[in-house]
Amino acid sequence: MFTQKNIKRLLYILGIIAVVLGIFGFYNRLFFGERDVNYGSYVTWGLWVAMYLFFAGVASGCYMVATLDYLFDVPLFKGTGKLALWAALVTLPAALISIGMDLGHMERIWKVYLQPNFNSLLAQMVWGYTIFGVVILVSLWVAVRAKDNRPLGLKVFVGVGFVLSIFISGGVGALLGVNASRAVWHVGLLPAQFPIFSLASGVALVLAIVSFFTNSANRARQQRVLGIALVILLLIKTYILWSDFSMSLYSGVPQNVDAITQVLYGEYWWAFWLVQILLGTIIPIVVLVIPRWAQNRYLAGVMGILILVGFASARANIVFPALTVPELGGMAEAFSGPHLGFEYFPSLMEWSVTMGIVGLATLAFLLGIDRLPFFKDSAEVAR
Amino acid sequence: MSDANIKQESDLTRRNFLRGLMGAAGAATAIATYETFVNDPQLVLAQDGTPAADVPAMIASADGDHFDNVERMRTELVRALQKPAAERRWVMVIDLRKCVGCHACTISCVAENKLPPGVVYRPVLDEEWGTYPNVGRRFIPRPCMQCDNPPCTPVCPVNATFKNGEGIVEVDYDQCIGCRACLAACPYGARTADFGLTYTGTTPIAAGLLVGQDKAESYERVANYEYGEARPREGHESPIGNARKCHFCLHRVHVGELPACVTTCIGRATLYGDANDADSLVAEMIASPNVIRLKEELGTEPRVYYLA
Repeated sequence: MFTQKNIKRLLYILGIIAVVLGIFGFYNRLFFGERDVNYGSYVTWGLWVAMYLFFAGVASGCYMVATLDYLFDVPLFKGTGKLALWAALVTLPAALISIGMDLGHMERIWKVYLQPNFNSLLAQMVWGYTIFGVVILVSLWVAVRAKDNRPLGLKVFVGVGFVLSIFISGGVGALLGVNASRAVWHVGLLPAQFPIFSLASGVALVLAIVSFFTNSANRARQQRVLGIALVILLLIKTYILWSDFSMSLYSGVPQNVDAITQVLYGEYWWAFWLVQILLGTIIPIVVLVIPRWAQNRYLAGVMGILILVGFASARANIVFPALTVPELGGMAEAFSGPHLGFEYFPSLMEWSVTMGIVGLATLAFLLGIDRLPFFKDSAEVAR
Repeated sequence: MSDANIKQESDLTRRNFLRGLMGAAGAATAIATYETFVNDPQLVLAQDGTPAADVPAMIASADGDHFDNVERMRTELVRALQKPAAERRWVMVIDLRKCVGCHACTISCVAENKLPPGVVYRPVLDEEWGTYPNVGRRFIPRPCMQCDNPPCTPVCPVNATFKNGEGIVEVDYDQCIGCRACLAACPYGARTADFGLTYTGTTPIAAGLLVGQDKAESYERVANYEYGEARPREGHESPIGNARKCHFCLHRVHVGELPACVTTCIGRATLYGDANDADSLVAEMIASPNVIRLKEELGTEPRVYYLA
C-alpha cells in the first residue's frame, strides 16, 4: 500500500482537490475583494500573512539545505540540491501569492518596485524576495548545467544566496518586530529566531521529499541525518519558545501577558497545544529519535509533513495573538462594525485561498519532478 | 389691559418678529455663504501650504452678541490660514471633563467623510474603571493623534502616508497598496481599512424600484471630499482597499471651517486650532498643567492633547 508510486498518486489527488477547493476562494477574492475576509482593522493581518511567513520560511530553509550539496559539498547530500532548490522555487511563489491576496490593491504592487520607500521593512522584503526568487532560479539553472561538477561560479552564487536566505528569513521577523506598539513582537529575539525556524521547516520539507521521492543509495543515511538535525532544531525551537513565553509572562507587561495567555489558554488553545506542540513537535521528536521508526521512509516523511504543519501553526500563533490585544482600553466596544473585532478565525474564503495555494505548490512540485528533464533523467528521483 | 400695555405687547411682538426675521436672514446668509465655500472650487486651498487667499470672513452669529468657543476658534482658524502652512501647528484639545459620551463627534465624522461600515476615524472609548463602590466611567474620544514622530509613516512601502506641510498625517489614496502595515504600526489603533462594504449591501436588489439596492445605496456612492478631492465609491476605486484615518478634516479647515467633530461637540469638549498662535484657545489650553497625551512614553509626540 505505502509505495512511492501510491504516495505520489495520493499527493496528486490531494493537490487537485485542494486546487478545486481553492477556486471558490480565488474567485471570491479576485472578483469581490476583501469583503468576506475575517481579518480587519484591528486584527490587521490574518491567515494569508501567516502563510506568507510560513512559505517564505520554507523557501529560504530549502535553499539553506541546498547549500549542503552546492556550497559545502557534503558528499552525503549529493543529488539533493536540485530537489531542495526546486522545492524553494515552488514555495516562494506560494508565499508571494499569499501576501498578494492580502493586499487591498494588489494591482499596485509595481509601485513597490518603481516608487519604493526603502525605510520600510515591507519594501525591503518585496525586493529581497524578488531578488531571492531570481537567485533560486539562476542557482538551479547553473546547477543543472554543471551536472555533477561544482564550479567556483556556482559556489559563489549559492554562497550569496545562502547569506540572502538568512537575511530575508530574519527580515520577515523584523517586519513584525519593528512595531514598537506591539510589545509581544517588539523583542530583538524575534528576527533572530526566524532563520532557525526557516532552516527547520526547510529541513522538514527536504526530509519529506527525500523519504517519499528519492531512491539514491544514500537515501537512508540522508533521512537519518536530516531526522537528527530536525530533532535538534525542534529542541532549539522549543527552548526559544519557552524563553520567549516565560520572559513575557514573568515580566507581567499586560500587553505581553494578554497575547501569550491568548496563545496558551485562549479560544484557539488547540492550535498551540495540539497542532504546534503535540503534532508538530512532540510526536516528530519521539519518532525521529527512535532509530527503527526514524528509518521507516514513510513514517519519516510523514513526520516531515507534521513538522511543517506545526510550523504553519506556529507562524499563525506569532501573528494573530499580538493583534488581538487592543491598543487602548475600551476600543473593542467603542464602535462596532464589520472588520472591527479583536477576535479572529479565518473565514471560509481565506481557508479556500490557502488550500488553493497549497494545492498549486504541491502540484507544481510533483509536475516538476515528473516532467522536468533534469529530474526525469535523474537516478536519484524515484519514478 | 390698558392701551399702553397692549401697544407695548404689540411692540414687543413686532420687535421679536423683526429679530426673528433678522436671525433667519442671518442664518440664510450663513448657509448661502457656506454653500458658496463648498461649491466654489476656487476657494478650496491647495494643500501644499500656500497661504489662504480667499478665506471667507467669519460668519457673524445670528444674534450678533453671543460668541462661544466655536466662533472664537473659527476666527483663529481664519487667522492661522493667513500664515504659510509650515508656520501653523494644528492641534486638537479634548477636555475629558466636558465629554459626556454622546458620540456626536463620531457620527458627524462618519457623515462628513461618508465612512462605510467598518471604517471609523474617531470612536469614543467608553471605559468603566474601579471596583464597586469606588467606580467611575470615562469617555475618551480618539481621533488620529497626528504624531510629530509617527510610527505609521516609515513602515509604508510606497510612501503613501506622510506628514504634510502642516504636520497632518495624510494618506495618498492613489498610492496606497492596502498592505495595512500602517494599521499594525499605529500604537493608538487610529487607522482602519476600507473593505468595500456598504450599509445597504444586503438590501434586496429589486431593480427599478425605489426600495431596491441600487436606489438605496446611491447615497452611499456619492463622493466624499477628503483631502479636497471628490471620490465617489465606485467599483474597487480608492479609498476602497486603502488604509483610512482622521485628517483633522483638512478639506473643511482649508475653507475656513472647523473639523466636523469640533462643531458638533455638544459640550464644547473638543477644541481645534493653531498652537503656534499664542493667543489661540488651544495654545491657552495646552499650557494648563492638567494636560496629558496618550502613550507619551513611546515618543510619538501626539498633537492631540487631553485635559483631565
